[in-house]
Amino acid sequence: MAFPGFHRSSAVLRMAATFVILLAFWLILSGYLDLFHVCAGIICCTIVAFISSDLLFRPDRPVRASVGSFVRFLLYVPRLMASILVANLDVAYRILHPRMPVDPGIVTFETGFSDGVARTAFANAMTLTPGTITVDVNGNRYVVHALMKERSERELLVEREMEQAFTGIFREGR
Amino acid sequence: MILNAIAIASIFCGLFFMVVGAIGLLRLPDFYTRAHASGKCDTLGEGLMLLGFILYEGATLVSVKLLILIIFIFVSSPTAVHALVNEAYARGVRPWQKGEERR
Repeated sequence: MAFPGFHRSSAVLRMAATFVILLAFWLILSGYLDLFHVCAGIICCTIVAFISSDLLFRPDRPVRASVGSFVRFLLYVPRLMASILVANLDVAYRILHPRMPVDPGIVTFETGFSDGVARTAFANAMTLTPGTITVDVNGNRYVVHALMKERSERELLVEREMEQAFTGIFREGR
Repeated sequence: MILNAIAIASIFCGLFFMVVGAIGLLRLPDFYTRAHASGKCDTLGEGLMLLGFILYEGATLVSVKLLILIIFIFVSSPTAVHALVNEAYARGVRPWQKGEERR
């Protein structure tokens, strides 16, 4: 423990940030701004922030890194929405087409993510976007079911556009 | 007036994707491909409908709650689909391949 004060101050910072976020969420959901409801909110948020502040901001990373990842992810959301829309139109076309041009299959590939949050975000984004559903995640190995096998193999094994985007957001991987 | 028109257009777009998701659930050949239809189309359909409600409602507290609902759906819906598909895969449901008979 070379810098005992450093860890304590970052723990306090984590709790304070968690408290502010929780209280904002409380006020939005309750909608009442009178003394009783706000006080109840402050008490509840204090208890929850005290017990579980390490769930929202992870203790093994600096708070600034967590916030940076979150902001970069928010900036990525518009692009993600656009690709979700394109993916949905593609699926809708294949469903409504009289002959249903689907050629499904399982695709397995590896990524460079080491962090659970990055893996989860990538898996969820992949389920929503390019004609794939995440079936299984085993370490870095992703097993996905693709609606169009050949196209997804090209996208996931060769182009890797989405993986690179998430690598940039969470500053890890290859 | 214009905002209402955009809101109604958004709600109908959402409705379109929900209907397509339901049709896909009936037409597609096996469990995994059906999960594609329900997972993608329902998520976007619900999102667009809620977006329409937000535009119709205007800047109120209800709109903020609806926005939180959209975020929740975009996180929970793919997770739920993944849980279903993962379980099917673990239990050995074989994916349908082109040329086979539909199940």
